Amino acid sequence: MPSSAEAATGHQRYDGSVFEAIGTVWRIGAGAHTDARLGDPLDAQTLAAVLARIEQFDHDWSRFRDDGFVGRVAREPGIHQLPADAPPLFSLYRELHAATAGRLSPLVGRSLEQLGYDAEYRLRPAGEPVAAPQWDDAIAVRASSTGLTLETVAPVVLDVGAAGKGYLVDLVGEVLVANGVTDSVVDAGGDARVRGERSTRVALEHPADASKAVGLVELRDAAIAASAPNRRAWGDGLHHIIDALSGHPVAERAVATWVIAPTAMLADGIATAMFLADPEELGARFEVEWAMMGRDGSWRSSAQWPGELFAKGERT
Amino acid sequence: MTTTAPARTAAVAAIGVGLLGTIAGCAAGDASADVGTVDESYADGTYTADGSYQSPNGTESISVTLTIADDVVTAVEIETRPTNPTTSQFQSLFAEGIADEVVGVDIDQLDVTVVSGSSLTSGGFREAVATIKADALVG
Repeated sequence: MPSSAEAATGHQRYDGSVFEAIGTVWRIGAGAHTDARLGDPLDAQTLAAVLARIEQFDHDWSRFRDDGFVGRVAREPGIHQLPADAPPLFSLYRELHAATAGRLSPLVGRSLEQLGYDAEYRLRPAGEPVAAPQWDDAIAVRASSTGLTLETVAPVVLDVGAAGKGYLVDLVGEVLVANGVTDSVVDAGGDARVRGERSTRVALEHPADASKAVGLVELRDAAIAASAPNRRAWGDGLHHIIDALSGHPVAERAVATWVIAPTAMLADGIATAMFLADPEELGARFEVEWAMMGRDGSWRSSAQWPGELFAKGERT
Repeated sequence: MTTTAPARTAAVAAIGVGLLGTIAGCAAGDASADVGTVDESYADGTYTADGSYQSPNGTESISVTLTIADDVVTAVEIETRPTNPTTSQFQSLFAEGIADEVVGVDIDQLDVTVVSGSSLTSGGFREAVATIKADALVG
């Protein structure tokens, strides 16, 4: 579906396939373009396959739906068959859980609900923050002949918000490859992956002003993701990045983080984990480059960060 | 907490040096940085555009007004038109964030394929900016 801007002007920025799904704008372009255009739109069959893949992921993993896997686990304890795409996601969550000493966890759904970030978007805290259950107490993931199973002894509200969207960007890219589209950019509201021979310029959006950029990188066969608590905040100190150990939103040690990684899932997960652990340690442990902007506009980044970070202070 | 949505206005007194300052900032440590390059001209004036976006509550709208002088955005006004209280909160927080910062960057600086860092509201915002940009383009 073309944006209204495209419909009105035919402006080249809005080429490719642009649509909205799971609460964000998806922009997908095909072909090894070298300019700033998104690229060729997807053919109808490929686009339908992409939309179906997104719908399936949302059905399986959304905390806001009760008809899928997450909804089932939130209702009843027992042995649940994990969705077929679960292994990489759970594997990363396990690593992030270890790397953050338990502070990043997929079990924070209940904590988020308590703070008001629930299916109804109440956005009013229901009471004091509640810590997430301990991973090993609450869930056991086992391999079976039919894939992974998740065993719970009590209802658990899973939340894969830290890496789920990035993972879906990767999965959509796989759908493109399966349909013969090997050169592509898939952008889901600013979390993006570039595949194939194309090289794509990415602006780092100013955390407080979407009309400005604070940095610039060029991606080739890589992914980028950002995390900014203030962009999903619903009250003073209330936002979606939760310390699983306390159930509190994390203190905002930065206004925004960006991560470049081989996959969008990893980039997404680390961009969140940077609020919960030392970025230097994460950078040593995972194959990522990272940058974070402090509240005063200052930068910290990994030594090999491949792009430009615009310095503060020289701005008049 | 108010759930009505009065128009939030951020009239920022920016001047031409804002753009120069930004270019200097962009070029820090890299004299060849080209991100500040202006390759299109815009007619001076005030432009308003509406954007819409999909929130979990349905379609919401936001109106953005930019004032452009000498290819520099000198003022931004954002009017939120939420259809429910939840969205009102998201939008007013977003509008406050915008109001915090001085604007003064040529909007051509957005001429990249992807903008990383955006979230719920910015889809509508970006759409509105794109429309403004097209309206303001000289020729």
